[in-house]
Amino acid sequence: MAAARSAGRARDIRLAYLLLAPTLLLFGVVIAYPVGWEVWTSLTDLSPLKDGSAEFVGLSNYRRLLVDAEFWRATLVTVVYAVVTSAGKLALGLGFALLLARPFRGRALVFLAIFLPWAYPAGVSVIGWYWTLNPPTITAYAPFMGHLKFYVDSALGGGAWAFTSVMLFNVWRGSSFIAVLLLAGINSIPPELFECALLESKSPWRRFRLVTVPLLKPFLALGVFLSITSAFADLSNVWMLTAGRIVFPLVGTHAYWLAVKVGQYGPASALALTMGPFLLVVLLVLFRLFDRAERSAA
Amino acid sequence: MAQVMMKDLNKKYDEVHAVKDVNLHIRDKEFVVLVGPSGCGKSTTLRMVAGLEEITGGEITIGDRIVNDLPPKDRDIAMVFQNYALYPHMTVYDNMAFGLKMRKFPKPEIAKRVQEAAEILGIQELLKRKPRQLSGGQRQRVAVGRAIVRHPQVFLFDEPLSNLDAKLRVQMRVELKRLHDRLETTAIYVTHDQVEAMTLGDRVVVMKDGWIQQVGEPLELYSKPANRFVAGFIGSPAMNFMEVAVAEANGALWLDTTGLRVKVPAPLAGRLGAYKGQRITLGIRPEDLHMATSNDPADYSFDAIVEVVEPLGSEILLDVKVGQSVIVARVDPTVRAKLNDKLRLALHPERVRIFDNKTELAI
Amino acid sequence: MVIERRWKKWVFFYIPLTVFVVGTLFPFYWMTVTAIRPDAELYRSWRAVNNAPFWTLHPTFEHFRDLLAKTTFPRWLLNTFYIAVASTAISLLCGLLAGYALARLRFPMAGALGTSIFVTYLVPPTLLFIPLADIIRDFQLGNTPWALILTYPTFLIPFCTWLLMGYFKTIPKELEECARIDGATRVGAMTRIIFPIAVPGILSAGIFAFTLSWNEFIYALIFLSSPERKTVPVGVVSELIRGDIYFWGQLMAGALLGSIPVALVYSFFVEYYVTGLTGSVKG
Ligand SMILES: Nc1ncnc2c1ncn2[C@@H]1O[C@H](COP(=O)(O)OP(=O)(O)OP(=O)(O)O)[C@@H](O)[C@H]1O
Ligand SMILES: [Mg+2]
Repeated sequence: MAAARSAGRARDIRLAYLLLAPTLLLFGVVIAYPVGWEVWTSLTDLSPLKDGSAEFVGLSNYRRLLVDAEFWRATLVTVVYAVVTSAGKLALGLGFALLLARPFRGRALVFLAIFLPWAYPAGVSVIGWYWTLNPPTITAYAPFMGHLKFYVDSALGGGAWAFTSVMLFNVWRGSSFIAVLLLAGINSIPPELFECALLESKSPWRRFRLVTVPLLKPFLALGVFLSITSAFADLSNVWMLTAGRIVFPLVGTHAYWLAVKVGQYGPASALALTMGPFLLVVLLVLFRLFDRAERSAA
Repeated sequence: MAQVMMKDLNKKYDEVHAVKDVNLHIRDKEFVVLVGPSGCGKSTTLRMVAGLEEITGGEITIGDRIVNDLPPKDRDIAMVFQNYALYPHMTVYDNMAFGLKMRKFPKPEIAKRVQEAAEILGIQELLKRKPRQLSGGQRQRVAVGRAIVRHPQVFLFDEPLSNLDAKLRVQMRVELKRLHDRLETTAIYVTHDQVEAMTLGDRVVVMKDGWIQQVGEPLELYSKPANRFVAGFIGSPAMNFMEVAVAEANGALWLDTTGLRVKVPAPLAGRLGAYKGQRITLGIRPEDLHMATSNDPADYSFDAIVEVVEPLGSEILLDVKVGQSVIVARVDPTVRAKLNDKLRLALHPERVRIFDNKTELAI
Repeated sequence: MVIERRWKKWVFFYIPLTVFVVGTLFPFYWMTVTAIRPDAELYRSWRAVNNAPFWTLHPTFEHFRDLLAKTTFPRWLLNTFYIAVASTAISLLCGLLAGYALARLRFPMAGALGTSIFVTYLVPPTLLFIPLADIIRDFQLGNTPWALILTYPTFLIPFCTWLLMGYFKTIPKELEECARIDGATRVGAMTRIIFPIAVPGILSAGIFAFTLSWNEFIYALIFLSSPERKTVPVGVVSELIRGDIYFWGQLMAGALLGSIPVALVYSFFVEYYVTGLTGSVKG
């Protein structure tokens, strides 16, 4: 009997592992090994500049981080960066999504226009932004932008203008994606729910707060999550928009700088790894939200 | 064509014991209906026959093969689902032909069979359409058509009519019955609608909480329910139940409660002897009650006060109060009754059922 | 009443919409204007007569011509296309299979394996390129497209898997069960019934993956070194900025041309893309 029972199941289990095999194999090589390397390196003093083999130094890289002012500054900047850009993306994205929620003439075109910033290769559009915000001195409107940069920098400290442009770029690009995500969310909500709400309350604001937002919660949570993770790991945007002259380092750029420019693989790895637990917490909190919304919808 | 046997069939999910010790022998060409309230394990039983659920314990035989180990495709069965499960990306023709294609039938044979089935079901004009261009009733027909083109050994139906509106449901019910008479294929049909069960089934299996309560021909279930659950489940409006005491007086046994005192009919008296002085449950079907006339003996009639009148045209349902309890009587449409009227009702002594209070089994 | 309505519509709809759209599109406008602007106009002084910073007076295609003739830009386009298509195909295939297994099959460790696939999304990619560079050297894939084709899936697969898993969950189980009764094996039901129905989801995952690989910058910068092997984002930046000299006109022309494939993909599949996303989150 037991053998008979397991026959069909064994087939399923075998199939499941077979289907997962390509993914797991690839991940074993391109994720598991590098992450393992990173964990190991964070416990050593490995450096390309140093001869001889790396020495095991225990947790001292982490301990050094905790008392490193640079690290705390990077963390602070990253948090500010993540919060500000996420808030901006969410606000703009929600605005776009709501404006596009109802059909009007030319909606498809507007949709494409709004989607363009995300669909456009960032590595390329970032150049457009750099050109717009930091024009070379000889160009026509350079003096104007030069003044702007001067005012921002003198109000907030050197490099503030560059940092602002990174945030602007990020919001510009991200809100485009969030808008599409939320639009998909709005489309997936049965219209009866909105009609029902229309009967219940006259105030559009109340309807928005009590009906639209709760129904969109899973989508909002997903948007926030993607936005925050990308903020933490952001490297290329910052690098390119500031032409490598980073005055306000993020955790990601700081780690890159430590590893590539200073050659301290150990501390850099430790730094990169500290992001993990933080993101995990964010993910769990958002999952909670996501879950609760789903359960109440069911 | 084949018989289906279930031996000590059990199904356990992590926490739910969904099917318990089911033993059932479905004969060749028989139309058997599984009926019971929601969650009683009907679908699970059917799905084990289909091979879609693992069998936790026991054995299923189709024809003369034990199929526990066979994947669904090798069991030579066809199934019709509640939501029809038509493949949305294929036309009606392709939907019906899919099973034959998978079994590598030659093209002309496939075309012939699909055509044949389409004619039987009257869906020839729909063959080129996609499922989303069909009405509910048409989808239903396509789903049945897809099952019959394969000439399987057994048909399995899981509540195939419950997504249709009332009128269409009655119509399809008749068609299914005719189809079965014509194809003579063994069929297992799951429903929670007892009318469907009674009208379609050669035999009906009543289930509750994973147990089989009773297996029998429709009229047998109606007239000789094995326990209180079956008695209440089969028949509409449902059987009335009243708790009564068994008392002896004047050399006869009486069933006694406030407002009601009827003599135990002779054939029951022998079986009730052991219950003297105890309480039992009396079951009377609404249609077994009528307005008392001078011909009705006083031993089998009682007074009642009308609480609700529901005229249905061909009959009238009266909710009446007898002592403490409220029961339903189904009376002639000519009866004129008003709220709070006091009437005298009589029962058919040989049609009352009595049940043990503890075991709920019929006595 | 009607007048008030119209007034409201302008304030709450047309004006914000216009502002938003103009804001989003301005950088593109700017790039276009720059790309067709002759150098003489490009580098004209602020105070010069005839100065029109937001407009091009004598549009020219010389930057495009230079870009196509004097640089390896066409090669970059080809490389990027090849790499994006290949890595998308790999990721889609893996994501399809893994997503199906996670959505439909019960097996030991399903939860753990599923989670670990998604957690890779949380691994900050910042330093992974250092050990990855070792691996790539060991397999002698350095400076070949394969270096990217095999590494991009690391961030593409989790998303594809997640999206497709959600999509599969919205497809009624009965369809597959019916197919299995009709004579298909599990794999048969998967490839003949589930995958065709999941086409919108597959397309939207594919578009997403294609965009991400088309846009990727860091790995492409590190793993490819010879100019003719580069991808568009890296090539444009590293070859058209020499030291401190920016070839602005060509940069902008490259930026515009480099995005055409992605724009094409989107304008064809935008409907699918939205339905695909919707399906996935609903489930
Ligand atoms: N996949 C499952 N996992 C756990 N429990 C299940 C599963 N499927 C069914 N059950 C449980 O098994 C019991 C029987 O379910 P089944 O679907 O057979 O009921 P049913 O008689 O068909 O009811 P209905 O008329 O509502 O379809 C129920 O209590 C149900 O909750
Ligand atoms: Mg059921």
